Amino acid sequence: MKAVGARLPRYDGVAHVTGQTQYVDDIRIRGTLWTKALRSPHHNAAITRLDTSKAEALPGVHAVVTHKDVPHNVYGHLEALGIPADEPLLAVDEVRYKGQPIAAVAAVDEDTAREAVSLIEIEYEERPAFFDIRKAMDPDSPQIHQWGPVYPHFGSYNHRRVRKGDIDAAFEQADTIVEGVYRPQAIEHCPIEPQTALVVPEANGRLTIYSCTQAMYFSMGVVAAHLQWPLNKLKFVGGTVGGGFGGKVDTASETISALLALKAKRPVKWRWTREEEFLASSTRAPWHMELADAVTSDGWILGRRMTTLHDAGAYARFSPYGVTKHAFHHTGAYTIPNVHFDGFVVFTNRVPTTAMRGFGVTSVSFAVETHMNRIAEVLGIDPLQLRLKNANRIGDTTPNRVVLKDPSTVPVVLAAADRVGYDLPDEYKSMTNERRSGDLLPPHLVDQLGGSDASTNGGGR
Amino acid sequence: MAKHKGRGIATIEYPTGMNQNGDPSQAWVKLKPDGRVDVFSGTVDIGQGSRTVHTQIVADTLGVPFDWVTNDNTNTDSSAVCTGSFASRGTFIGGNAVRFAAEQARERILDIASKELEIAPGDLDIVEGEVVAKGAPDRKIGIPEVAAAATWNYGELITGTGAALKPYADVSDDDGSVEIEPHSAISYAACVAEVEVDDETGEVTVERLIQVYDVGRAINPTLVEGQIEGGAMMGLGLGLLEEAYPYYPAPDHRGGEFGAYLAPALEDLPDVDNLIIENPSEDGPFGAKAIGEMANNAQPPAIVSAIYDAVGVWVTQMPATPERVLRALDGEKEPRREGKRVIFDDQLSIRTVSSAGGKGFFETDG
Repeated sequence: MKAVGARLPRYDGVAHVTGQTQYVDDIRIRGTLWTKALRSPHHNAAITRLDTSKAEALPGVHAVVTHKDVPHNVYGHLEALGIPADEPLLAVDEVRYKGQPIAAVAAVDEDTAREAVSLIEIEYEERPAFFDIRKAMDPDSPQIHQWGPVYPHFGSYNHRRVRKGDIDAAFEQADTIVEGVYRPQAIEHCPIEPQTALVVPEANGRLTIYSCTQAMYFSMGVVAAHLQWPLNKLKFVGGTVGGGFGGKVDTASETISALLALKAKRPVKWRWTREEEFLASSTRAPWHMELADAVTSDGWILGRRMTTLHDAGAYARFSPYGVTKHAFHHTGAYTIPNVHFDGFVVFTNRVPTTAMRGFGVTSVSFAVETHMNRIAEVLGIDPLQLRLKNANRIGDTTPNRVVLKDPSTVPVVLAAADRVGYDLPDEYKSMTNERRSGDLLPPHLVDQLGGSDASTNGGGR
Repeated sequence: MAKHKGRGIATIEYPTGMNQNGDPSQAWVKLKPDGRVDVFSGTVDIGQGSRTVHTQIVADTLGVPFDWVTNDNTNTDSSAVCTGSFASRGTFIGGNAVRFAAEQARERILDIASKELEIAPGDLDIVEGEVVAKGAPDRKIGIPEVAAAATWNYGELITGTGAALKPYADVSDDDGSVEIEPHSAISYAACVAEVEVDDETGEVTVERLIQVYDVGRAINPTLVEGQIEGGAMMGLGLGLLEEAYPYYPAPDHRGGEFGAYLAPALEDLPDVDNLIIENPSEDGPFGAKAIGEMANNAQPPAIVSAIYDAVGVWVTQMPATPERVLRALDGEKEPRREGKRVIFDDQLSIRTVSSAGGKGFFETDG
């Protein structure tokens, strides 16, 4: 029997549904200490005093860590991709979001750790907080980030740009311009298993890190960077996760637990409460997208102008990556030859946003697809026919000058139409994803097929 | 006051692998002395079933029964690099890593079998756990015997290593163009949502979702359907229920417990009609593209468009909660027209809300 294509049962399914799978919190190691964190109660504040001595003196407390205990405190998860660092592991002299960790305690039990956190003496000076990304560039808005209102490092630009074709000509030629605004919300990852780590200092000097990360090598790199350790001193144990959805790419609990374990010389477990998981862990980002499409009365999309604002929250984290990915997909499943796209990563005093299923693209799919249906409505054209006409096809080029090899927009639309018994005219029913010709190669698409774009850019073939 | 039915469609595409690539996965394979196979791939199984899929790919690449193969993804000492379980990369990139490792181990099996059978490796094939001479199927040796010979006679360990990496695609900051394809493959989907909208309460019920996914090749159709249906649940949450900050941009969170935060439950899952189509990718393992993340992207716009079809209003702030639907029903339904411009959502625009008219966000070309 061939395995590929077979409906084989999940490798780990029986263990999952019979409760035999060991998640991080199921692992018990003798002598383990328990962790609680001091988190900011303010959206934006200067820290004017921090004194942990009373917490350290509490019986049952084995270690307290602050930023002073982190060998390399400010580390960016995507420094390797040229995205610089802006976020401290533990806050130094200011906090920029409610829930930001400032200090952490390891104690004999969670109650003692909680009590120790309450004994940490801290004073704040509150600052005005900022939340509406649309106002980020306004002169009267508070400045909250050292880089300014938006992430400034897309090369020399403060936004991710896509330019192709002649956008002004497209808007001039258009019969109609359809404009709309789309605003998907922040949502929670809601894993059943909250962020959890168990770190064991081994007798040979290594750290064994039981982790719920979605990415063991990635997270090991993060811990190694904060500790300034080589990888051979770390062992990540994981591979099975009780729900991730993108949120467990953040490496949120491992490093602080490791610092505590090293300081206490004891195993340390940190399991976030459900409340922390909701209020202090990252969310899917809110986005604000403005689209204007230049269309002809018979349903060709000649051009698209788009401005996207991405609510990064207090720090950049993965946001520049997400906006670039978003930019690469801003024409969706269609071929639009003239585009002008600007995407901004905007800082607010919200919990930092992060990856979540569909990162960067869930938002743009919502905007583009709703907008397509609006265009159909405005023009009085069937929404499926509008899609089939503009659908990307073999040999079409994307806004990034990639030549498409195996697009399936036409087949999936036709299959869906067939499944719901939707009646389409024969010339649409007989469409395929084959190269454009005849009526499907109108003058505005000739250049992007046979012209300079395709010949000067190999499109990755 | 009445209930209205509506239908909406969305068509989406989604890339496989990290945007701009540069995200390796590596794996290795070894044979036990009885021919059973251990796969070490560091891909975290976050519920998507990558352990199962990787095992299937190795079984067919080697030509051994599925239940001969085990997968160890438990730690970074025994596993090589996997960048991670994100970017819908597990089947394609992680799968290619285990495929390449298995291909190498297969060569080693054929080498040893060649010595035992005295037939050139190129004239051998592997079928159902046996190495068989092409054109002479009675001349054969079982992989258990090959592994035993390697272990006890030749003093060899049959292994294979594999690494999958598409090089990083630089992007032009001026115009967004790339020289290298910035993904491993692209998957496609269409979703039709059928809804009922109560124009008195603003409640929206999704009654049926018809979903078509091109995944290149469904390595395990059951797991693909699991992604499609799990994704549909999350798409329902995005489209209708979930929001951390109900009065965004106000920062007030719904609250720190499941009782305060509305996420869909199984009872919210409508009738789902799934169709998988296979337009293979030339580079993916067995033609696979991906399914993971895209599965929650098509429902929200399909639902919002179905709401329009039902009651004639566009709710473009997600989720379409009863409050937003009712406010839309009470508000201006027609777009503003100015020359050939048809302008929706004026009140939400940066130009309206910003005290500087959005200066800084527009006219970026100077």
